[in-house]
Amino acid sequence: MSATSATPAGASGGRKASRPWRSRGNISAWTLSAPAVLFIAVLFVYPLLDVVVISFTDPTLSLVNYREFFSSPLYSRVLGNTFWFAFMVTVICLLLGYPMAYVVVRYGGTLGFALLLVVAMSFWTSFLVRTYSWLVILGSKGPVTKLLDWVGFDPVPQILFNSFATTLGMVHILIPYMIMSIYAAMQKIDPNHLRAAASLGATPFQGFRTVFFPLSLPGVVNGCTLVFIICLGFYVTPVLLGGPRDQMIAGLIGEQIEELLEWGFASAMAVVLLATTMALLAIYNRLVGLDKLWG
Amino acid sequence: MNLLRAIAIAIGAFIAAPMFIVIPMSLSDSPSFAFPPTGYWLGYYRAYFSNELWTTPTINSAIIATATMFVTMALVVPASFALVRFRFPGRGMVNFLLMMPLMVPHIVLALGYYAVFSPVGLTNNHIGVIIAHTCVSVPVAFLIVSATLKGFDRNLERAAMSSGAGPLRTFFHVTLPVLRPGFLVAALFAFIHSFDETVIAIFIAGRDASTLPRKMYESVRLEADPVLAVVSTLLFTLVLIGTAIAAATRKRPVHAT
Repeated sequence: MSATSATPAGASGGRKASRPWRSRGNISAWTLSAPAVLFIAVLFVYPLLDVVVISFTDPTLSLVNYREFFSSPLYSRVLGNTFWFAFMVTVICLLLGYPMAYVVVRYGGTLGFALLLVVAMSFWTSFLVRTYSWLVILGSKGPVTKLLDWVGFDPVPQILFNSFATTLGMVHILIPYMIMSIYAAMQKIDPNHLRAAASLGATPFQGFRTVFFPLSLPGVVNGCTLVFIICLGFYVTPVLLGGPRDQMIAGLIGEQIEELLEWGFASAMAVVLLATTMALLAIYNRLVGLDKLWG
Repeated sequence: MNLLRAIAIAIGAFIAAPMFIVIPMSLSDSPSFAFPPTGYWLGYYRAYFSNELWTTPTINSAIIATATMFVTMALVVPASFALVRFRFPGRGMVNFLLMMPLMVPHIVLALGYYAVFSPVGLTNNHIGVIIAHTCVSVPVAFLIVSATLKGFDRNLERAAMSSGAGPLRTFFHVTLPVLRPGFLVAALFAFIHSFDETVIAIFIAGRDASTLPRKMYESVRLEADPVLAVVSTLLFTLVLIGTAIAAATRKRPVHAT
């Protein structure tokens, strides 16, 4: 899974002829990157490897943790929940994000600029702040409950601490990623393509369907991948807005750490989450190229 | 296509409105999360600034984010030079290694750091959090610094060298001044990335190195402290100021249709 090979920099040219220069270049390059490489290898990769090792060795060297995870209906449900939830959030983000990005790119002007500012503002606001907002809005003393009470619901349904609240909160937190990915792709589309389609007799909708939409797809794929992957491993918001019944895998891992329960089991869950994330990224890398995901 | 415009405005409102709610909430005199507030006062602002349980995590966050920023830049700048300017054996591996922290869910990292740091006394400790935050900030800063470096015209350096400047002099008088804005943006991103990081801090910062997001998380979870609205408003105000500056300094994008 190499994210590189994109830009051969600096030293190209004849291999044999420039050999002395090249080897000196190699030494400089290694020296310059050594501090970062050592830091990440020792202080990032090692803790990750430790998680993998613990998952296979605690309490004994065996697959017992994985067997426990995959054989229990409770944990299978959590895993299923996690995927279903990530899928729902991704789809809603796409359905809301696409028209918004479209309006920003195609209409522009003051409205487009204002919408972009709102997205940027949301992107930079800590997700804890946004999670707190939803606790207020959906809470028992919040505006939505009051509205439902006024409309005549009796008793007023609980709208916080369930999968609805979690989904809403996560969509709100992740939609900027979707909009920015789609926006980036749409902005690259040459408007002349649409003019050409129109001059050949395509209706605006046909132009959109056969020209604009296909060209915006890389942004859609990009945004969906980002949102889905972030959602899979998201910890804080589901824990704060969700109920005990719609727990996600990240929440379960956190619970195990907090209560210092079975280390091996917590690690096995973490490895499952890590492996899933890496597998999705590997597929993305194969199809699109990983260097484009964050570009 | 006015319908489409209306839909976009509605979605924009859905994104914006919940964030603005924190402002009236911070001025509320209610001890719970009631909205709209029953009355207004500034008491919870006073409570925030005078309560050590809130000011200490704020200071911790500032210290940790500043240290993270410096360590991250010290690691990333040389590595980016190597990756952008040289083609060397292992280059792909180095690139992958530096980007890897962006691909791993933070809860997995939190578990790993907890397992590795607690036996050596790095949990409940500023250094431990700085190390973890540096790892997750490296890819973010690396993306920006390497993009800046790719856009740098190396003829400027060649001109300096051919005019007799040595490598160090060239770096400090030509290369660095041109690249400085990009570096500053990368440093700012590293700072914010650390300042906002919540999950790893929740599990390894402990009481002694508790960061602001950790304290906010705890106060939502355990006590529903109304000071939370004050902190949220202050953080949101910083974002508003930043957005206003960005909007004022950048030209409005023009989209011809």
